[in-house]
Amino acid sequence: MKLRIFCLIICFFFSWVSSLAQEKIYFTQNEIGLLFGKGEEQWDGSSERRVDFTLQTFHGAWIGKKQVIGFSAGLDQYDDISLIPLAMGWRGFLGKSGRPQFFGGLDLGASTALLEKKVRTEWQESWYEGGAMVSPSLGVRFPSKQGQSSLSFTLAYKRQELTYFEGALNGGGIIFPNNIGDIPDGFNSIFRRETIFHSLVFRAGLMF
Amino acid sequence: MKRQINYFLSLCALVLILASCQDEVTSTYTYRTMLPVYLEMSDVRARIIAPEPPQALENPGKIYIYGDYLLVNEPTKGIHILDNTNPANPINLNFIPIEGNIDLAVNDEMLYADNYADLLVFDLSNLGNIRLVKRVEDVFLSQYVHETGQIITFKDTVITTDAPYFTGRPEWGWLVSSDMGFRANFSAASQSYGTGGSLARFTLMSGHLYAVDEYTLRVFDVEDPKDPQFIKPIDLGWGIETIFPFQEKLFIGSNRGMHIYDASTPSSPTRMSVFEHVMACDPVVVNEEHAFVTLRTGNTCWNGVNELQVVDITNPYNPTLKKAYPMQNPHGLGLAGDYLYLAEGNHGLKSFDVSDVMNIDQNQLEFLRDMKSVDLIPGPKSLIVIGPDGVCQFDYSQPNRLRKLSCIQVSNPIVIN
Repeated sequence: MKLRIFCLIICFFFSWVSSLAQEKIYFTQNEIGLLFGKGEEQWDGSSERRVDFTLQTFHGAWIGKKQVIGFSAGLDQYDDISLIPLAMGWRGFLGKSGRPQFFGGLDLGASTALLEKKVRTEWQESWYEGGAMVSPSLGVRFPSKQGQSSLSFTLAYKRQELTYFEGALNGGGIIFPNNIGDIPDGFNSIFRRETIFHSLVFRAGLMF
Repeated sequence: MKRQINYFLSLCALVLILASCQDEVTSTYTYRTMLPVYLEMSDVRARIIAPEPPQALENPGKIYIYGDYLLVNEPTKGIHILDNTNPANPINLNFIPIEGNIDLAVNDEMLYADNYADLLVFDLSNLGNIRLVKRVEDVFLSQYVHETGQIITFKDTVITTDAPYFTGRPEWGWLVSSDMGFRANFSAASQSYGTGGSLARFTLMSGHLYAVDEYTLRVFDVEDPKDPQFIKPIDLGWGIETIFPFQEKLFIGSNRGMHIYDASTPSSPTRMSVFEHVMACDPVVVNEEHAFVTLRTGNTCWNGVNELQVVDITNPYNPTLKKAYPMQNPHGLGLAGDYLYLAEGNHGLKSFDVSDVMNIDQNQLEFLRDMKSVDLIPGPKSLIVIGPDGVCQFDYSQPNRLRKLSCIQVSNPIVIN
């Protein structure tokens, strides 16, 4: 019985892959662009506009004629802080293939601040941590004459979390009881600065 | 197609609305502090203190060896009594709840323990019926406000405040900084582990009880163990940490140096000398010729160094540094004959042969790196070591081969930094 089910699954898989192969299985979108946003409000009510650099690559598989699911990775530069967003993504297309098409997308995941180094002195330690990331997008693509690739323009919204930590180190002598609040071991105090970036994103890229 | 364009434009509008939001920034500052708690001493005295059934060790402070018994202080809460007849299997017997208790000493079956401003005396002759036999009032005055009869204590607390801007951290205001609070209260308690330990603040010698707080040495006549008489306070200067008695002398460790007091007239110790060093935390143990002082860096002594100093005290009026050995982060230490045991904090536990004080580094006998430790007492039956793993006992009949006998687990282990 198990063998029959196994054979059935294998047959189904190959028939599905071959049906995909008749058109195209893999989808890639590489983009570069800018993040537009408004920094935090200052004490006098003013806030600065920010324009930051972003790039993203999306790799997925067609799950029908109009939809793709996959993973995206990228680099978002907020001033001097670099975040690496990693997400699961979806892309959906409107319109006939071979012609300019509108598309929508959604990326859900998290950012990591791996590129930011911990800074430790005799007195303190500071570091960054990423957080949740969500980015719905809309765009239009213009296929090349050969139909193998397309030029794409994307307008998106990106919500991205970043936390800066600065902890005062507990020096060599004082002994504290454990499990005291949410201060990590080895610290006397911790300063947390949580930032949620809301950005309008414009990207241009190529789809394959 | 027209419908698609409409969809696209509406979604564009939605994106623009979302994008018009500003970045959200929230800052918080979380810190340890000690909130002041005011207690009426009259209320404290009115409470009946009665022994309770054994309780699990939570966060042990000082340890005192009394015959076959181990007395373990739970800082500011009370004292556990354990039967240590078999060091491989200590048995928790009972708990004496004593508010504000930091130190203890036992003299001829009488337990002395501080209770905020007062010194209490318990009769331990029958452990099944421990009785409070005397209260000496108003002797520990560092927390006491005479005019109001109130005691100011500090409750360790973690507070999180909103700090809207990075540079706008909250002011301390009426709160006490964590360093100050812990130094004054918890740390003072938990870093000292009893008479015989190098970090003790209570000690007995020549029929007298000597108690140090951060600034003062207090002298009690305990010739009649049941009836201690407070004699007088002696000002010591600031930063006092430990007291160690030896041959009618008191060796008092402060974070500026080691004070030597002549206690040949026990009721009135007089200063012989002060051996000064850089600012560091420094417990002391001594033998006839030498004082062994560990210096380490710490919150209260940032400029310190990590080393073991050997001080020649053959002339106690002129102690001189004989040699200093670099260490990793030395805390408490204990001397048993020619053997020195040294708690290296997170780095472990070391034993040395110190018969040749000029070559101690050449005579390291053992280094147990996995035995994190803050203080130790070489007891008659076992070497008692206090660290994050709890209270552990070692057979140290062979100083170069310490053998673990037992560990009493604690529910809230200390963190060594």
